[in-house]
Amino acid sequence: MSSLGRIADAVAAYNQFVTAEIARARTDAKFAAELRARWAKIRKSVEWTQSPTGTKLPRLALPDTAEPGAIADFLLGQGLPGEFPYATAAYREMYLDRDQGAGEEPMRLFAGLGLAEDTNARFKYLSRNQKSLRLSTAFDGPTLYGLDSDHEGVLGKVGEGGVAIDTVEDMLRLFADFDLTRPDASVSMTMNAPAPVILAMFLAATKRRFGPGCLQQLRGTIQADILKEVQAQNEVIFPVDASLRFLGDMIEWCVPNLPKWYPVSVSGYHIAEAGATPVQQAAFTLANGFTYVELLRQRGVDVNRFGPRLSFFLDCGLDVEYLVLGRVCRRLWSIGMRDVFGADAKAQLLKLHTQTSGRSLIAAEFQNNLTRTAVELMLAYLNYTNSCHSNSADEPFTTPTEKYALLASHAQSILLEESGLFKHMMNLFGGAPGLLALERQVEQGILDVFREMDTLGGVIPAMEQRYQRSKIQEAGHAYEQQIYSGRRPVIGLNRYVTDEPLPHVPLARTAPRKQRLQVERLKAFKKKHAKKAPTALQRLENVTRSSGNVFGELLDAVEVCSLGQITACLTGVVGKFRPMV
Amino acid sequence: MAAPPLRLLTAVPLCDGHDSAISTINLELARHGIEVVYLGYHQSVAAIVRAAIQEDVNAVGLSSYNGGHIVFFKEVVGQLKAAGSGDIPVFGGGGGTITPADARVMQRNGVDRIFFAGTPLDRIMAEIKTRYARPAKPDRKFKGDRALARAITLAECRVGSPNPATAGGTLRPDAKKSRPKAATTAGKTFVIGVAGPGGAGKSTLIDELTSRFLQKIPRGRIGLLANDPSHPGTGGAILGDRVSAIYAQDDRVFFRSLATRGSLTGLSAAAPAAIEILRSSGEFDLIFVESVGVGQESDPFGVFHGRKLVDAVLYVLPPHYGGRIQLQKIALLNGADLVVLNKCDDPRAHAAKAEIQTRLDQNQRGQHLHATTAAKHSDLGVDRLFAVIAKLGGLDPARGGEKACQMEVSP
Repeated sequence: MSSLGRIADAVAAYNQFVTAEIARARTDAKFAAELRARWAKIRKSVEWTQSPTGTKLPRLALPDTAEPGAIADFLLGQGLPGEFPYATAAYREMYLDRDQGAGEEPMRLFAGLGLAEDTNARFKYLSRNQKSLRLSTAFDGPTLYGLDSDHEGVLGKVGEGGVAIDTVEDMLRLFADFDLTRPDASVSMTMNAPAPVILAMFLAATKRRFGPGCLQQLRGTIQADILKEVQAQNEVIFPVDASLRFLGDMIEWCVPNLPKWYPVSVSGYHIAEAGATPVQQAAFTLANGFTYVELLRQRGVDVNRFGPRLSFFLDCGLDVEYLVLGRVCRRLWSIGMRDVFGADAKAQLLKLHTQTSGRSLIAAEFQNNLTRTAVELMLAYLNYTNSCHSNSADEPFTTPTEKYALLASHAQSILLEESGLFKHMMNLFGGAPGLLALERQVEQGILDVFREMDTLGGVIPAMEQRYQRSKIQEAGHAYEQQIYSGRRPVIGLNRYVTDEPLPHVPLARTAPRKQRLQVERLKAFKKKHAKKAPTALQRLENVTRSSGNVFGELLDAVEVCSLGQITACLTGVVGKFRPMV
Repeated sequence: MAAPPLRLLTAVPLCDGHDSAISTINLELARHGIEVVYLGYHQSVAAIVRAAIQEDVNAVGLSSYNGGHIVFFKEVVGQLKAAGSGDIPVFGGGGGTITPADARVMQRNGVDRIFFAGTPLDRIMAEIKTRYARPAKPDRKFKGDRALARAITLAECRVGSPNPATAGGTLRPDAKKSRPKAATTAGKTFVIGVAGPGGAGKSTLIDELTSRFLQKIPRGRIGLLANDPSHPGTGGAILGDRVSAIYAQDDRVFFRSLATRGSLTGLSAAAPAAIEILRSSGEFDLIFVESVGVGQESDPFGVFHGRKLVDAVLYVLPPHYGGRIQLQKIALLNGADLVVLNKCDDPRAHAAKAEIQTRLDQNQRGQHLHATTAAKHSDLGVDRLFAVIAKLGGLDPARGGEKACQMEVSP
């Protein structure tokens, strides 16, 4: 049995335990008394606040009951915010008093376009009203595939859909003028196959600016989720085993050296965007997360050191399951981590980033996308996501332009600061009948997928049999069919169509002159380091051939080598990924 | 008899992994009776153009979602033209990322048609069928790979036609005349038929052997004929072997996908003609013909029927073949010249090796089992297997084959 089977068993056992405890609460007078006493204490500790219109409100909403069975059901089945099994929320206060600037800013705005200085300017534009520094980076296609901007045939793609990064010098320009050592700064990089190289470049650039001591302070995330790349997003360079080794080397280095960094963001977003249903998204993502835990454990890394450094990333679309997806994922993760992997409280917690669904946005009558994103945002926050990105309405056409990126960010402020929905009370709906019904069904669906993958031998064997890819493709195909048949209403596309011509939307495109500038910069870098690069690459090759830690060597190599040079060197040793249909 | 199916090449451009739209389109195309040669995502212009030519498709469809489409499509059109195959139209789509203004520029650059976001699939299908369906005819203008490819297309049309005389084309293509015969290999093409159950890793093994060929025979050329089943109901097919053939993206490789079009032997009925076309071109040192994963009694290469289609048969097995009794039933194990146990990283491989060798010993033909893990980079088992093939096929030293023949064959 793979760990997925054991996890499914553990969840079933936990659910039985909750049922048994509810029954016991109703029959065992002593236990009932204990529960009532605990409940009274919890209720007493709840502080009260007042809405701007004068209504008095508890800062934490709890089920209005004194019945011991119902108390046991809530405390064990859902958990108080910040308490096992975390269905209600990962933390206690979350978005309370956001309008007063309390707590962590949950908004992350993903940006990346053109050359490093263009993205740097966009970061400045987006962060000018933010209290804390949240820089989330999108990279262009060549960078995501580990290719240099001067690689044959990529020129038109340079700086398109994300920022072009070839060298440590680009990385310096990307974050210029931002103090990344501020305690409230966090940097996120959506980077997978070449993640170790890009993180090494980031660290090299940061050390140049802030000195080697900065590593203790650096906060942020690099996606580095190669399993979902193989399953859905297709940005893979090296064979799976080599990719997992490079990833393991990076994580092993990060755990002691970058204590505040999240070296993997286990991502369902791209799985959902590629077609998966919400249940499949959650099941594949959690299963991938558990696979990383197993891999790290096999390498001898303590689950309690590594567990807290994992984070998760889910898509939030308009399907009803999204109302509970984050809640269910937190619950399953904590049970699996505690009961199968023996993780402690900190390592049980699923920390969640959410992004509204790009796939749900359409070109026809595209201003409706503002509403779609707003609804999705609400669903995401009702799951008490730890952070969130809201898409720009113009994304069906272009890398977001300033105007729509700003509107997307304002949508979050309207929800969390202007509206009263989230700022006064925690736990708006936890324990509500609709949520519970959905949670039960979604959880069951996820466990069914776990068991199916278990019979295939676990995540990696299932992947080799292209199980996840087939499921995702089938679901994607069904989704398209539903749209074309009208069974899935999409306003402006298959319902209430106004025959408005496609609008003329301003596009954020990278000018050919900039693309050429990037190539010139890269050539200059290569020329400057022409003497040192071969030695560095030789050392990298030797370490890769041996069983040494590749990440340690990358930290040196990026000083004198470009991304493409390093990718070619690594591919020379470990070979190329063989794609699956 | 219906007209031969439309053949299309579909792909996603370089540095773009968005394959969900193209996957849906591929399924729809096949459902509409179209043969789709799918090249995969993250594909360079050169790879797309090479595949379009070798597959002799009616059109190329590109799905681009992360920008740079104006430059990329222009390059595809330009390089097709430069390669003498400007007759192959290029169409595409990219949801909302390709704007109407972009599409106008792209059409001026020679792109045939851009489908915009929201175009119903049925309309796309209908338009593709009317725009690109045209019968293949012999064309003396075609040179090189396109001439070989067109000859194979004509052979495919002929075998599916009740009246070969009217189906157009002669068996011997102009290809033979239009290119200088490689003197050193004339008549020395070694053709290997590859069979084995689905899931044995045939395609991966062939691709790894291709990489060894490219390394060891630096001036040689290799031909690959990949047979895949047509959908019995619609007649369409998704020919996806190119997706995982990562070493086939080289001008020294000629790769052709063949849909079985109702043939139940595990090979297209045009496979014999296709082999003959490649053989008689005199260009190829080695040809692999991959059959559809077929059952126990099958004999796609005519091993037991006197007229052997190929020079040698390679039979590939995975470790999970189902036990001793199943082995007894596989007829091709009696006739295969090379028997390979692939996926030897599987824990079941150890027991399987002994069992299969015992089965081969019964044949008393001195058959030796080769053990490979083709999915592993630089697998020594594949190295050894290639050395055996090089020796068996007498791969030409003048093309750098000497070294290959002398590679150590250690147990």
